[in-house]
Amino acid sequence: MRDDGRRARIMAAVIGQDAVAGAGELVKRLCRFAVDEMALSGCALVLMSGRESAGMLAGAGRHASTVSGLQMDLGEGPCLQAYASGVPVFLPDLAADGASRWPAFAAAALAVGVHAEFSLPLTTGPGGIGTLDLCRDRPGMLSEEHLADALVTADIARDAVLFQQYAPGDTGLAELLDTSGADRIVVYQATGMIAAQLDETMSNALARLRAAAFASGRPMHDIAQDVVARRVRFDD
Amino acid sequence: MTEISGGAGARPGGSGQDDRRGPEAALARAFVRLADTLASDFDIVDFLQGLSADSVEILGAEAAGVMLTDGRGGLRLIASSDERMRLLELFELQGEQGPCLDAFSTGRAVQAGAADSRVRWPDFAPRASDSGFQMMCAVPLRVRTDVIGAMNLFRGTDAPFTADEMDIAQAMAEMAAIGLIQERALRERSLLTEQLQAALTSRVIIEQAKGMLAEYLQVTVDDAFQLLRNYARTRNRKLSDVARDVVDRKILSTALATRPGRES
Repeated sequence: MRDDGRRARIMAAVIGQDAVAGAGELVKRLCRFAVDEMALSGCALVLMSGRESAGMLAGAGRHASTVSGLQMDLGEGPCLQAYASGVPVFLPDLAADGASRWPAFAAAALAVGVHAEFSLPLTTGPGGIGTLDLCRDRPGMLSEEHLADALVTADIARDAVLFQQYAPGDTGLAELLDTSGADRIVVYQATGMIAAQLDETMSNALARLRAAAFASGRPMHDIAQDVVARRVRFDD
Repeated sequence: MTEISGGAGARPGGSGQDDRRGPEAALARAFVRLADTLASDFDIVDFLQGLSADSVEILGAEAAGVMLTDGRGGLRLIASSDERMRLLELFELQGEQGPCLDAFSTGRAVQAGAADSRVRWPDFAPRASDSGFQMMCAVPLRVRTDVIGAMNLFRGTDAPFTADEMDIAQAMAEMAAIGLIQERALRERSLLTEQLQAALTSRVIIEQAKGMLAEYLQVTVDDAFQLLRNYARTRNRKLSDVARDVVDRKILSTALATRPGRES
């Protein structure tokens, strides 16, 4: 595969002088590299297995967990779209292009200072495992050079995760995989409880939880905690 | 692809450029086939059978055969253009001597006529000659330094393969090797993707099942997890399968609360 040595250059930049302990450390450094190299306010490697399951595997920058977290709460946004379609989504100006496609996401992201978002799917032929999300606190398209770097960074991260997920001895990645999406666990548990309370399907229960969060202006995670702690019921 | 295979001759009054029925056209068609490894119904034997047949046609050989590495330093016979070649290649593998093995181990093309071949491969060459082959050539299936197999090309006459023919044979073999390596990487990634997706999905479902049980049985989520685990263990089922059945309401929550010993 010809990439003008881009892959080798990025690998050299993230590995540097010291050896990388494993794929877990590698994906963290790739996110850090992207933030520094492309002047981002956040970069996150998000693993997904369907519309309702996403967890950040690694991230860097102050907005690292913002974008995927908002999309899970709202059930809409560019990284869900990139994952489902396998095609990158570019939102160089959330105020202008985001509002029409994902109004709730765009408003929430702008409110916390994200002005541009680029979501690259981690594709593997017919399927995919998630996205590499890049965001900036100011509007503007990525330069061609940065975009090319970002695409190769996504490829390296994808292969590191795929080929190391069962590698014996790579405990770093195993730990990351175990903890990725840990902050969503309470949401899944609450979904199960609401489904039981309402005698509903999981997706309808999740929709109810999401609607309650949206209506009250509270994060979904907080309401889920109240449900699991039995402070809130949905069948009252 | 359609431009090369379907376009030729279809255009009226075509110039010389449209006349794609000569040897160049056959070569072009062969290269298109060799690049086409990422289709969902890809079959490695069909693919290499095609390489053998194309090589025979394009290079004026009488027979061709392809062997691939078994990943442990040995070779396996995958495709042959005819039965004589298949038997000879099996003999080559058994005797551990012959052009394909040399091309594979050195990563370079080899060629030998009747006299030469008897010196290089004293056991194999007489056998090949008995089968009617005088000129023996083999090229590695190689991508840069990665050699994944080799192809035999035999002629009934003593006419050597020209330098051009050797170059074309090598190019076709390299093209096939690139295609195979890409196909292997894609297949490997698809499998790993499925495994990762399944693991992520079952994690979600297990948490949902915990919540559902905690609510139905009015226990903590930790206790609900214990009940799930016990149920799966005593029935020798996977935790994720039991969780899915709970979420789909195929297992009643009360069944998990029952001690196995007291079940009727």
